[in-house]
Amino acid sequence: MSASQSAVRSRAEAVKVSRTFDWLILFTLFFVVLGGYHIHYMLTGGDWDFWTDWKDRRLWVTVAPIVSITFPAAVQACLWYRYRLPFGAVVCILGLLLGEWVNRYLNFWGWTYFPVNFCFPSNLMPGAIVLDVILMLSGSLTVTAVVGGLAYGLLFYPGNWPVIAPLHVPVEYNGMMMTLADLQGYHYVRTGTPEYIRMVEKGTLRTFGKDVAPVSAFFSGFVSIIIYFLWHFFGKWFAQTTFVNSENF
Amino acid sequence: MAATTESVKADAAEKPLLNVRNLVLGSLVYIIFYGWVRWYEGVYGWSAGLDSFAPEFETYWMNFLYIEFVLEVCTAGILWGYIWKSRDRKVMSITPREELRRHFTHWTWLVCYAWAIYYGASYFTEQDGTWHQTIVRDTDFTPSHIIEFYLSYPIYIITGGASFLYARTRLPAYQQGLSLMYLVSVVGPFMILPNVGLNEWGHTFWFMEELFVAPLHYGFVFFGWAALGVLGVVNIEVQAISKLLKKDLA
Amino acid sequence: MKILKDKVAKLSFVALLLTMTAAMFYTPTASAHGEKSQAAFMRMRTIHWFDLNWSKDEVPVNDTMTLTGKFYVFQGWPETVDKPEVSFLNVGIPGPVFIRAGSWIGGQLVPRSVSLELGETYEFKVLLKARRPGDWHVHAMMNVKGGGPIIGPGKWVTITGSMSDFTNPITTLTGETIDLETYNLSNTYFWHGLWYAIGLLWLAYWARKPMFVPRSIAVEAGKADTLISGTDKKVALGFGVGVIAIVAMSMASTNDKFPITTPLQAGLLRGMKTIEMPVATVKVKIEDATYRVPGRAMQMTMTITNNGDSPVRLGEFNTAGVRFLDPEVSVDESGYPDDLLAEEGLTVSDNSPLAPGQSKTVQVTASDAAWEVYRLADLIYDPDSRFAGLLFFYDAAGNRQMITIDAPLIPSFI
Repeated sequence: MSASQSAVRSRAEAVKVSRTFDWLILFTLFFVVLGGYHIHYMLTGGDWDFWTDWKDRRLWVTVAPIVSITFPAAVQACLWYRYRLPFGAVVCILGLLLGEWVNRYLNFWGWTYFPVNFCFPSNLMPGAIVLDVILMLSGSLTVTAVVGGLAYGLLFYPGNWPVIAPLHVPVEYNGMMMTLADLQGYHYVRTGTPEYIRMVEKGTLRTFGKDVAPVSAFFSGFVSIIIYFLWHFFGKWFAQTTFVNSENF
Repeated sequence: MAATTESVKADAAEKPLLNVRNLVLGSLVYIIFYGWVRWYEGVYGWSAGLDSFAPEFETYWMNFLYIEFVLEVCTAGILWGYIWKSRDRKVMSITPREELRRHFTHWTWLVCYAWAIYYGASYFTEQDGTWHQTIVRDTDFTPSHIIEFYLSYPIYIITGGASFLYARTRLPAYQQGLSLMYLVSVVGPFMILPNVGLNEWGHTFWFMEELFVAPLHYGFVFFGWAALGVLGVVNIEVQAISKLLKKDLA
Repeated sequence: MKILKDKVAKLSFVALLLTMTAAMFYTPTASAHGEKSQAAFMRMRTIHWFDLNWSKDEVPVNDTMTLTGKFYVFQGWPETVDKPEVSFLNVGIPGPVFIRAGSWIGGQLVPRSVSLELGETYEFKVLLKARRPGDWHVHAMMNVKGGGPIIGPGKWVTITGSMSDFTNPITTLTGETIDLETYNLSNTYFWHGLWYAIGLLWLAYWARKPMFVPRSIAVEAGKADTLISGTDKKVALGFGVGVIAIVAMSMASTNDKFPITTPLQAGLLRGMKTIEMPVATVKVKIEDATYRVPGRAMQMTMTITNNGDSPVRLGEFNTAGVRFLDPEVSVDESGYPDDLLAEEGLTVSDNSPLAPGQSKTVQVTASDAAWEVYRLADLIYDPDSRFAGLLFFYDAAGNRQMITIDAPLIPSFI
């Protein structure tokens, strides 16, 4: 192999090749991250994400941002620091939401006939865009973790409220009051999900009157900050290009 | 002038850098095969998959399981064996253009791996959550497990293994040892399959209900993280490709 | 050639779409549910379902049927299953083929989990509204936290019609009548579609320029800062501010549109009303019990004492939903599922009326293929090989008494 030999015939071809790799890399990154992220998310926050009668104002709000800020932080740690590409969080969420929507539509509805208005996913996009924007504008891990992480937690509930509010309208049903979301959970029989499995608010203290969701969101934002830091370093670790001696294997 | 004509001719005769046909066909294999699998689930899940003690369950589901086991072992053996057997023993002396072409082939494998991971870890894994809302889990081999654990996971393991072996046997960039992140991104998701042992142990003796966030499932989560190893692979690839294109891109 | 290829590709996609659609609208004949996998001792010693009635065998979409009956929470509840302090009255059907329009225990609606007491009998009713056509096995079912689903007897019910006709109208407390089957769907698609599009725009903004190789070369060369331009920053700021503005505005407009919302309702229901069964005046002592594997028969030697004031006869042995009857004493008229009913399955060595104050020792044999079919015979391989069940005694006037039995079982392999 001669050093003077070139892999491409012209600059135009080099640009084309580089661009083709862009798409191949983006596609692969998108779907592999989707796979890993989706299995992580469905098994750490999935039940809250599957069913509207789990989307409460205490645990869903708290858990979903905390467990979902993980992969965005890790992918940002690679894409920003190595390529100055500020779409690490958005690409993760686009992947996750695509995976979820395809599955909810084709399987939850298409295979087992749960109505889509009962099993749609949570919206994580506002937080992801803000996370990417803050990283890009600040260029700082600390600012992104603290401001971005907090914003990620805080934006989650209001970002979902337009979709779930209509399901929190109360209804009187055979002498009991419940929300439409509760009624969906009751009507559409889930053989494997008895009501007691549901982890939702059963609190007693009402320090903030009826507005408890912001407290959950704030707490969630706080933990998201910590998780962001942690996963940033995971991302750095996963982004390494180290080779190990094959004799050790 | 004559020289230019010759080089144009040579270009025309030469294999393309990226074989688009292989890329499209590779992707179609996954899309069409899994489309068929989903059709099979839709029909035989309902007609033969609700009661594992029924004779039709044996016909349509257990036989599916036995056949897929055999095919998977054969496919892995033949594919991995072929890639290894046909390895390039003079990999360090290939031309830059050939190296670039192989990177494209490698990315064709990685795109297939992306499809396989998507179907395995996302599509069929979350699908399991809804199927177990329609049946009472009465066997380790429910229709969704037969597809998820024993079909879609082995397929991404086979694809990932093939991709890894291709890089290891044909690309100069992977000759300095074993890429740690490549191993993580292939072996990590592979470990999800043995982790089924933990899952089934728990479900056999205790949990019959469907709580996805149960700690019993955290093994899957941990190994799912390994998919992030793809970041390392992307970086190695970009470095290697940059080396090949740097002076022409400048 | 290329045209041909395109055609083949197009046709395969059409075929794929067609098969997917066909699969989605396929009307199936389902098999039974997975009750047989449950340890026999668990089915025999936890919840005893009896007097079950499925109001219909065939229901058109949108019509309702009921599953009614009683269950006895077994006094000798096995140690390995958590006590039913948190339980949920479910129904064993393959997902939402029916919707559960109502469920009651002792007249109390039970959309939530309930606390049950050992040794008590409860009356229940489940109201089902048909949604998806097909033949479905409808089981009584109780989920017990720490125990899992305890599945009772199931019966085939056919739903006819078309799922597209199904509606689920509900009137809310704000006075609006909605169809819960499709309610909020377009709103959900709209918001998710909008946010997904904004995310895609952000990605597209960066993907329209070269991404990986040239940017990596620039970063390696120490020129990372040149990769983000002033315009990029302005665009990013626009996205950031825009996102927050959309969130704030959409939240405000939602609150205007839905001023009344309540949190999800949860919490355990206690104090379920029990029913008083007639006081048992008959006493039964199991002397021994064996299960003969080759004959698929269980044999019990029992001493029966009648402390009541009218003569009684043994009419039925009921365990895990399988009913063994002595046709001379008890005949089923409820249309109980055939596979769970052994109409002549109970043989008593001397089933003459037992007079008040008398006592006798008899051999009782319960034999039927159901022992095998329902895998109750596997009891002998369980880690706690005790059996249990209900005995029903009748007097000449047809008055019924329920007695529970609970004893070790010895298998006989020859």
